[in-house]
Amino acid sequence: MLSALEGSQALAQAVGLCRPGVVAAYPITPQTHIVENISKLVADGRLRCELVSVESEFSAASVALGAAASGVRAYTASSSQGILLMAEVLYNISGMRIPMVMTCANRAVGAPLNIWNDQQDSMAVRDSGWIQLYCADNQEAVDTTIQAFRIAERTEVPVMVCVDGFVLTHTLEPIDLPTQEQVDRFLPPYHFSRALDSRNPLSLGTCVDPSFFTEARHSQHQAVLRATTEIMAADRDYAGIIGRSGGGLLSVVGPAEADVAILALGSVCSTVQESMQLFPQDRPVKLIKLRAYRPFPMAALREVLQGVRDLVVLERAIAPGSGGIVGMEVRSLATTLTQLPRIHNYAVGLGGRDVPIEIYPRLVEAITRADEPAWFEIFDLEPEKLPVEDR
Amino acid sequence: MTTTDDTAVETSVDTTTDIAARKAALRNRLKDKRGSNEAPARAGTAFSIAELREHQPAFRGLEAGHRACQGCGEALGARLVAESAGPDVILTNATGCLEIFTSPWPQSAWRVPWIHSLFENSAAIAAGVEAAMKHLGKSTKVIAQGGDGGTFDIGFQALSGMLERMHNVLYVCYDNEAYMNTGVQRSGSTPHAAATTTSPAGLERMGKRHLKKDLLSIIAAHHIPYAASASVAYPVDLRRKVRRAMEVEGPTFLQVHCPCPLGWGHESSVTVEVARLAVQTGLFPLVEFERGEVAGVMPLRNPKPVTDYLKLQNRFRHLFSNDPRAREEREHLQALADHTIEKFNLRGEEADPLDSEGADTVRRGGLVA
Amino acid sequence: MLVLTRGGYALPGTSTDFKTGTWRTSRPQHQHWAAPCHSACPAGEDAQAYIAQVQENHPREAWETIVTVNPLPSVTGRICPHPCEQACNRGSFDTPLAIHSIERFLGDEARRQGWTYPVDPGRGAGAAVAVVGAGPAGLSAAYHLRRRGYQVTLFDALPEAGGLLRSAIPINRLPRDVLDADITRILGLGIEFRGRTRLGVDVHIDELRSDYRALFLAPGTAKAKAWSVDGAVPTDHRTALELLQEWVAAGSLPTPQSVILHGGGNTALDLCRAMKRAGVKEVHLVTASGLPGPGTEPDDIINVVPRELNQAVEEGITIHPHRTIQRLLFRGSKVVGVEMVALRKLPTKSGRTGRIAFEGTETLLHADMVIPAIGENVEPTGFSTLLGGKEYFRPNNPFGRLDHTPGVFVGGDARGDRGTVSAAIGDGRLAAIAIDAYIRQGDDPEENGRDTIDFAHINLNYFEPAPRVEEPILPVAERTDTAEIDGPLSGAAITREAARCFSCGNCLACDNCWTFCPDNAVIKTTALAKDGSHYVFDYEYCKGCGVCASECPCGYIVMNPE
Repeated sequence: MLSALEGSQALAQAVGLCRPGVVAAYPITPQTHIVENISKLVADGRLRCELVSVESEFSAASVALGAAASGVRAYTASSSQGILLMAEVLYNISGMRIPMVMTCANRAVGAPLNIWNDQQDSMAVRDSGWIQLYCADNQEAVDTTIQAFRIAERTEVPVMVCVDGFVLTHTLEPIDLPTQEQVDRFLPPYHFSRALDSRNPLSLGTCVDPSFFTEARHSQHQAVLRATTEIMAADRDYAGIIGRSGGGLLSVVGPAEADVAILALGSVCSTVQESMQLFPQDRPVKLIKLRAYRPFPMAALREVLQGVRDLVVLERAIAPGSGGIVGMEVRSLATTLTQLPRIHNYAVGLGGRDVPIEIYPRLVEAITRADEPAWFEIFDLEPEKLPVEDR
Repeated sequence: MTTTDDTAVETSVDTTTDIAARKAALRNRLKDKRGSNEAPARAGTAFSIAELREHQPAFRGLEAGHRACQGCGEALGARLVAESAGPDVILTNATGCLEIFTSPWPQSAWRVPWIHSLFENSAAIAAGVEAAMKHLGKSTKVIAQGGDGGTFDIGFQALSGMLERMHNVLYVCYDNEAYMNTGVQRSGSTPHAAATTTSPAGLERMGKRHLKKDLLSIIAAHHIPYAASASVAYPVDLRRKVRRAMEVEGPTFLQVHCPCPLGWGHESSVTVEVARLAVQTGLFPLVEFERGEVAGVMPLRNPKPVTDYLKLQNRFRHLFSNDPRAREEREHLQALADHTIEKFNLRGEEADPLDSEGADTVRRGGLVA
Repeated sequence: MLVLTRGGYALPGTSTDFKTGTWRTSRPQHQHWAAPCHSACPAGEDAQAYIAQVQENHPREAWETIVTVNPLPSVTGRICPHPCEQACNRGSFDTPLAIHSIERFLGDEARRQGWTYPVDPGRGAGAAVAVVGAGPAGLSAAYHLRRRGYQVTLFDALPEAGGLLRSAIPINRLPRDVLDADITRILGLGIEFRGRTRLGVDVHIDELRSDYRALFLAPGTAKAKAWSVDGAVPTDHRTALELLQEWVAAGSLPTPQSVILHGGGNTALDLCRAMKRAGVKEVHLVTASGLPGPGTEPDDIINVVPRELNQAVEEGITIHPHRTIQRLLFRGSKVVGVEMVALRKLPTKSGRTGRIAFEGTETLLHADMVIPAIGENVEPTGFSTLLGGKEYFRPNNPFGRLDHTPGVFVGGDARGDRGTVSAAIGDGRLAAIAIDAYIRQGDDPEENGRDTIDFAHINLNYFEPAPRVEEPILPVAERTDTAEIDGPLSGAAITREAARCFSCGNCLACDNCWTFCPDNAVIKTTALAKDGSHYVFDYEYCKGCGVCASECPCGYIVMNPE
């Protein structure tokens, strides 16, 4: 049943449907509405859950870790500085192979202080060993959140669901929430094979010396890679029960044979998609919505990139001194294709700068005009706003 | 160049076989062995030490074979805490000596469920475990552990938050007064004038310039039901405090004074003696707070001069040089002890069986009542 | 092949795979020292051991521990000067344990409860051994020989066994029903007693040597030492022992206005008190020894039961310590006083100690009677060949074996180097051991070779000051010649007193080592632990830190280099 819900409200309800036992969070814009809404669910008796309002994101992640390690489904959410404060714990959760889910309401990272959306925060922890799934809209965010618990619990790899701050979290959209019965059918009760239990007193988080650390890292790497299967399986089973896919590893909009492709993550996909409808171009173009950034779906990407001559990689973060983050990885993957596309790497919409509805024609124009593809550019940069020496 | 084929993998890695087998083996190992007072019933044969180890009249939460230094006060403290608390507990552990020496994979010295995450989040992990227990309706008590670095300094925020939120967690700080795991650097707990590798004594300095943080008062100010200091030199008192804290529903705190032979520079054999003198000089008062008020102290029968304590330890060796500042700092430490004695009204009016001289009295049959 | 667990978890208690014992450079070991009370006891009693059993609430076992060495604890508990208490380490802390009270309690309790001596005469050589003299040494020897399975015949000149215990110990110090009962119990073990049999008169030593495999002689000392002061002797000269025996037997005493006793033992003190009670107004004791106190070396303290000294003073006896009599004062032929001079026991040029009198310290003391109490020699009748003209036998070994006379052993006062009932009891035991070895043609057994632990080894942190229990003592006004002056103590008081024991050099089972081991390397067990301890070291894990040794209250753990 469709209902008009704010993104955060929808996410909170989705989390609630997954029956978490412990939710721990610390307020940060733009994540706050999610946690506020979960708190309301608990307050209203609609969710039986220990809500731990901690004193920092560091503790939020830690509380969730402790709870998940104790055999209880755990959830947290944060943004921006909060994600960075959590960083140490995030590595720890994944390294201990503790299944849990968090929402990253994506926001720029200061300084300068900026509360608006980009994806610098989740990109900063892309190597923390978490699965990262990026959502194009709030329906996807709801579906992905529910799927995330099953993915995490089957793979014992934690999942970060990335939802663009404000753009999604604070936007009212018609959302179809699955029923509790459907979710219960999809998501079995939480079970953690190594749960802390005085009847089976295991020691978790030991010190592993050089003779085994390499293997620990290898197995973690393999686990995240193999999660692609579980991500696809979760989406397939979800669709079977609820009748809707959450977006797989990636999805393609537009003609499959198009030799121009735009690859993007998160809500900008929706903007581009709408722009494509509003401003159709002569050249066939397809949009690749990359949902799974970690694991990086190499096989699936290779498949959709076959035959592409011009590939635009749009991203909402930057690696200063290098350039694109996603772009770099795509570029690296593309070297394994039979035909290397021209790769145009653009950052767009940093710190909440509006991505205009004309984005699609502008991109097409830019790549058509370019003699050489942009190694990396900030697409919507207005250099005149900078003193000459800082441009 | 190779990439991994992500289509040809199993849905998830099934570890249940592995775990189930291990659990079964473990159950057999632990069968009837926990906290048993009974000697194994097997007539006519001699028992090996290893067998008797399984039949000790106290619960061993922390097993032998851990890699603490000789005479480690923290190992002793943790052993006593785990013994008094177990077996229905879950322990969390901050990074530090205790964590390192008890859990070099694939071995663990813990016989209770135990989790180490990070340096600064023992209290927060414990809060999460406790929330989970609450959700599951389990009565398992949660104990967070940390050293003084993980408690006074880097983990202080998480600890304060845990206390404020009134989690049903006992936090135990094993206070050995410096960052020992990293090689004896000063912490917020290092006493005034003690030399560490980052507060060395030299021509310009007489060891640590600052004072030992009065953590217990700060903790007590959270208005929690119970906060106390204890010492490895007074195991009966320590055990009582652990049990007391375990009975309380809500956050409780224990600061256990644990000498570190390596870091303090004393013989491994005098660990308990040093701890005892810390109490008997008034430098480490044994105090109990309830809801922020002093609810009890271990009175000092005859406060000893602080030099009795200082002279056993190399970290205070510079205070016995001819430098006039050495004398000054000794007097300073004496004044601090006197101040503490006065502040907590530690001076006993008459001999008391539970004062600093009486509390460790032994009798045939042992300390355990 | 070791395989990594997911997330690096570990199974509980698996640290035992890591043997930290390899780190050790010195190892803790139990060392059972001799407690000072044990070393000091001439009878060989291990007070520490039986007090431990009292602490464990096993009084019968405690009594059995005593009677493996001393069959007469209710006697020695009453009349021994208890050097054990002078040696007690607790004396350097607060006050020594009232060991005598515990000993007496156990002896009395054994009689009251009818505990039988743990003696099994069935085993052993069964050979016949004769014991001459049924005083404490003879009774002890007979008992210990019987314990070893020998057929023992006990000879005594008097009709009843007991020797000096019966003839010279005041009844108010040793009630005769106590003595009779214990002697009856000992003789009841199958010892043949032949009273009224005087050696040299009724039976001869050569007969005994041919009829018995071995012979133990404990005739005591019955012949008063020659006594004079500068050649002068009072006309009414009687020795203290004669007077005391007369009084014990018949209750009669001379009652001059004032009397001076010269000597420093229980005989002197007992007679002083008896005469005072009989009506003598002034009773003086002149003794070369000192009174207990800071100014007196331990080996110079008057050799009497300390509490009796206090009682004597209470009763009005005047004691002149560190004095001797150097002149008798006469009025005509009658003694009217003495001249005393101060002296001290000091090292002399020869290196041995001697008593040195100090010129210029002479004082006069007037009295109607002067009685020497300076001791007795062996009455040579029947022994003259063996004595060879000496005053005592003076064997050169603790077992009393006489050179050149195989199979003949002596003990008790007749040795010449003893002075207490406890020493006599010890002689009887040692002689029994040696006789057993002689008959079996074995070597003399070694005596306990354990070193004595000193006060510095006790960790005082673990002990609390506690008042010593004191037995109820009859007030001076109520004391008579017969009623026992020192009363009994309750079981509760005894338990309380026993709890004060430091358990010097032996395991207190206090749990300290077990509690304080940071490495769980002390195992509490009575199954494997030896020597009364409750603990064993698990050297697989013991790192050798030495905490257990430091914190052992009793000095029972020592660190030995690997």
